[in-house]
Amino acid sequence: MRPEMREYNYDWMMGSTLKAASNLANGFPKEAALALNYIPYARGASKALMDEGDPGIQLFKLLSNYYENILLAHSRGKKLVATSFCFSPVIFFAMDIVPVCMEMMTGLGNILWKRGMSDYLDFAFEAGLPETSCSSQRGSMGAYLAGLGETIDFVLNNMAGACDTNANAFAFLSAYLNKPFYQMNSPNTIGDPRSEAYHLADYSAMIRFLEEQTGEKLDYDRLAEILAEVEIQDELITDVEEFHMLKPTPLTPLDNLILYVGRFMFSGRVEYTNVLKALYQKALPKARAGISGLRSGEEKLRVLMIYIDHYTFDFNFWKWFEENGVAHIGSQLSHHFRDTVPYAADLPGSVYSVDTSSPAAMLNTVAQMNARGPMVRSIRGPYDGPFMWLEETLTLARHFSADCAVFNGTPGCRNTWSNNKLMARDLEKAGIPTLILNDDAFDDRVENWDATRERMEEFFTIRGLL
Amino acid sequence: MNFFHKAASSLDVPEIIDWKKSGKKIVGYTCSYLPPELFYAAGVLPVRLRGVETDGLDIGDAYYGPFVCSYPKRILQLAGKGRYNFLDGAVITPGCDAMRRLDECWRKAGDDHPGILPGFFHFFDAPHKDEAHGFAWFVEEIRSLMEKIREYFGVEITEERLLEAIQLYNRGRRLLSDLEALRCNPAPPVSGADAFAAVLAGSVTPRDLYTRALEKWIAQLDSEKTDYRNRKRLMLVGSVNDDIELVRLMENDSGALVVAENLCFGVRAAGGLVAETGDPVEALARRYLGESICPRMFGKYSERLARLKETIQQHRVDGVVMQNIRFCDLHGAENALFERDLEKIGVPCLRIEREYGPLVETGRIKMRIGAFIERIQTR
Repeated sequence: MRPEMREYNYDWMMGSTLKAASNLANGFPKEAALALNYIPYARGASKALMDEGDPGIQLFKLLSNYYENILLAHSRGKKLVATSFCFSPVIFFAMDIVPVCMEMMTGLGNILWKRGMSDYLDFAFEAGLPETSCSSQRGSMGAYLAGLGETIDFVLNNMAGACDTNANAFAFLSAYLNKPFYQMNSPNTIGDPRSEAYHLADYSAMIRFLEEQTGEKLDYDRLAEILAEVEIQDELITDVEEFHMLKPTPLTPLDNLILYVGRFMFSGRVEYTNVLKALYQKALPKARAGISGLRSGEEKLRVLMIYIDHYTFDFNFWKWFEENGVAHIGSQLSHHFRDTVPYAADLPGSVYSVDTSSPAAMLNTVAQMNARGPMVRSIRGPYDGPFMWLEETLTLARHFSADCAVFNGTPGCRNTWSNNKLMARDLEKAGIPTLILNDDAFDDRVENWDATRERMEEFFTIRGLL
Repeated sequence: MNFFHKAASSLDVPEIIDWKKSGKKIVGYTCSYLPPELFYAAGVLPVRLRGVETDGLDIGDAYYGPFVCSYPKRILQLAGKGRYNFLDGAVITPGCDAMRRLDECWRKAGDDHPGILPGFFHFFDAPHKDEAHGFAWFVEEIRSLMEKIREYFGVEITEERLLEAIQLYNRGRRLLSDLEALRCNPAPPVSGADAFAAVLAGSVTPRDLYTRALEKWIAQLDSEKTDYRNRKRLMLVGSVNDDIELVRLMENDSGALVVAENLCFGVRAAGGLVAETGDPVEALARRYLGESICPRMFGKYSERLARLKETIQQHRVDGVVMQNIRFCDLHGAENALFERDLEKIGVPCLRIEREYGPLVETGRIKMRIGAFIERIQTR
């Protein structure tokens, strides 16, 4: 790691950047435009979010709050838990624990900093995480391994059985920092009584772990309040998902990111509800008028990302969609699996319901919700198994009228790289042109964005899609 | 010794061929978390799947992506070439992400290469945790597999037959403990390559023949007549390895002797006894899930470190060679932790990344091991 990087606390750097950036929109447009000249590195990302209007500005504030919560957690007497984006944070908010979501933070660092997270990625490797392991955790984790973040109090992960590389990174973090650890585990199937009972038992044991770490019992009244907020959010997400099915979609490419980043960071909190309301309000007039959310106003192509997005500098990935008139109709991260979404009937095992009638019902609700996060939901079992990756993708492609599918991930993903060729073959057989990208979504040194962009353009041109 | 080396080095094991000729069934399995006793009790020969004797990866690479460990790819390669066509069944276990995807890759390869997919093809969903609910799940998985065996092979696995199988496997385990005790001697009577071959052979040969051969061989070992005095004592740990040549490479002309391993194909997996009282299924579950010997059991690092330290002490290990197959994140990360914690207490460690399969990197590995032994000698 460059010596100068060791001079700064990573959380403080990110928190300060985001706090300043989130204030940009408070002034007059001319003031904001002038201010952008003074932040050459963060200008592109800041402008991209501000150009999204209210949802983007709300997201900035959300991100700023997220870091503020981390930075002030200990002074507020709260514990910090290192966790994954696949873990629903509602239980943390119910227990007054502050989550530190590693993958989200790596993605943000890449988008905001020109050098990306390379220094921290490399430090994690020096500390012992193999260079071939997933970069999504390795980035921000490197900062914590180097002692450059806030002190993590304990570690919690739910990826064993769905993504062993992810689970392994968190196990490593706990062993390296000598912090308590609870690992949850997914069986090979979803939606059947046996796996649901397993999830409930595992989640209940996890609650006992959290109670031990915090010294506080889970307050079910507080959980009920959080779940009531989840209900409001799920309703809004369902509406937004319905908008997304319209052809053309009234949503912008970046709206997908706003949707899931907010959920991973603040599900169950009113801050996220505000983001969703802003998204809804922005899209509603266009939905009514049948207008595309793209700035060009013309939707040339609808692309379904079958795994994750590309978190390169300045939101360049999403900008490419905008500039080329391509609608981004969601990814494995952005689509939601509440039983109210229009595609729920086609994937009954993949969806959860909310029941706040009793503590036991609430516990089961959060356990099943947690088991239906990204990855844990659909890449736990064989890709061609019931409700798994292929079935989910075909269902989403049908409901969202996908013209083609793109796989983007990280070379560290043993799981998807062990069957993405099989997926592509089956999707092509089903008439969906499919591209597999070889880049690293969190590390531009593996393949720079320009090369990735060219591969996408080559695919769309050769297949006659654009 | 030939019995062990032949079984450990090739897929064409005479005892497997004889078994097949006699009309009996054979099932392959991928992971040390599957109790082979279940098959033995059903009169079916359990054979641990390996990737030895591959001469290319065209089939493995066709289904798996490029960023995946070469071990499951080589198993798939052999299956695709028909080398595993003698199997009547196969059981895939989620040892890690790449291994569990052998399920789909093999099935899909079976569509393109007719005849390579065994008739009995089962996914044994071993959980990654041994708490009460994990244990209960594992017990159910065992019972479900027993039922599937009954349905497919038409054989009832009775409690008595299962207990007999457990007792037979335990006899082998006791013998391996005897072997390990001999390797603890200042003058071990056996090379690391021979000892490793003896352990490996147990994963592919009929257990009764194996146990008899092991008993006879160990009785002949004599510490008084050893050639292995005054060598630097190494331990080999890390990713799956079933290649005796790697052990030979460490020992030949190096002045070193491999006196212990902590490997998936080694005594680590073959070691601990299964209880011979109580419910045999639960006893198997306790043994196979409960020992947390593999980094697939996340959060059990301190237990594994303690076990490693104990072996290092008992076997008077001078240095530990930690290898991981490229893209094996689980062992790669754990090796780094082991290195940190063992070097702290004065145990020299060497970390090597390598490919599974024919030793294409002999020169590089030999040079690094040579340098490591020099380091130990100067201590």
